[in-house]
Amino acid sequence: MKPSDKKVDAGRRNFLSLAGASAVAGGAAIASGGTPTEASEVAEGQDTRLYRETDHVRRVYELSRF
Amino acid sequence: MPEQGGNPRENAGVSSEDILRAQVYGLVANFLSASPSTKLLKIGAGLKGDETPLGKAVGTFAHLCERSNAEAASQEYHDLFIGVARGELLPYASYYLTGFLNEKPLAKLRNDMDALGVTRDENASEPEDHIASVFDIMAGLIDGRFDEAVSLDEQQKFYDTHIKSWAPYFFRDLEGAKSSVLYAGLGSIGRVFLEIEDTAFSMVSAA
Repeated sequence: MKPSDKKVDAGRRNFLSLAGASAVAGGAAIASGGTPTEASEVAEGQDTRLYRETDHVRRVYELSRF
Repeated sequence: MPEQGGNPRENAGVSSEDILRAQVYGLVANFLSASPSTKLLKIGAGLKGDETPLGKAVGTFAHLCERSNAEAASQEYHDLFIGVARGELLPYASYYLTGFLNEKPLAKLRNDMDALGVTRDENASEPEDHIASVFDIMAGLIDGRFDEAVSLDEQQKFYDTHIKSWAPYFFRDLEGAKSSVLYAGLGSIGRVFLEIEDTAFSMVSAA
């Protein structure tokens, strides 16, 4: 994200937290990183970027602990 | 194959609110891409709601997941999306926008996917304009799972063209479908969440 976007984004992010995006916390992190077996099967050995749920994204979810 | 593991710094730039958005897109996509496994239902049952409209929808859906099981959910998924001749609903952009499958909206999506460097999963037999696929792409554009996260402007462009134009109608249909029980709850999450997305994007355009 460009630095100029950051200011614009502050109000929006504030809105998003108030709107309850955080309600989905916890479980959604797992659900969205979920079905890791299927996802990694697809990821392996294929030159495709769709449906790729990489380990590093899962790790970001884990570390973020929503 | 593209670099696996990526660069963690790409994702460090994604705010926690945006990661949550990506997660909601991902959650909805997971339930719509195939009938949910016992594991996915269990994850759904573990979602916690709160007093916000989205939180209430999430709470109801969690409750429905808890009461459901893989067999019932699979029957419901079948009735809704597969059916004997066809399911009750056809969750494709082309169908919602033109009344036919594999029409111009699909062609436009394929063009935009090319431009974004997103390719189709070879195992997928569904046209790419299926709701689950469009939501997966949106999640990826937000959290950078394909390559790197794209700017809000680009997210909004994709959202306006490929989601806003039809997905709210689909979720309304899902909420009201004859065969919907568990999926009525998912439909509410989708509808309320897209209202939030609309407002949030309008804050960017107005700025």
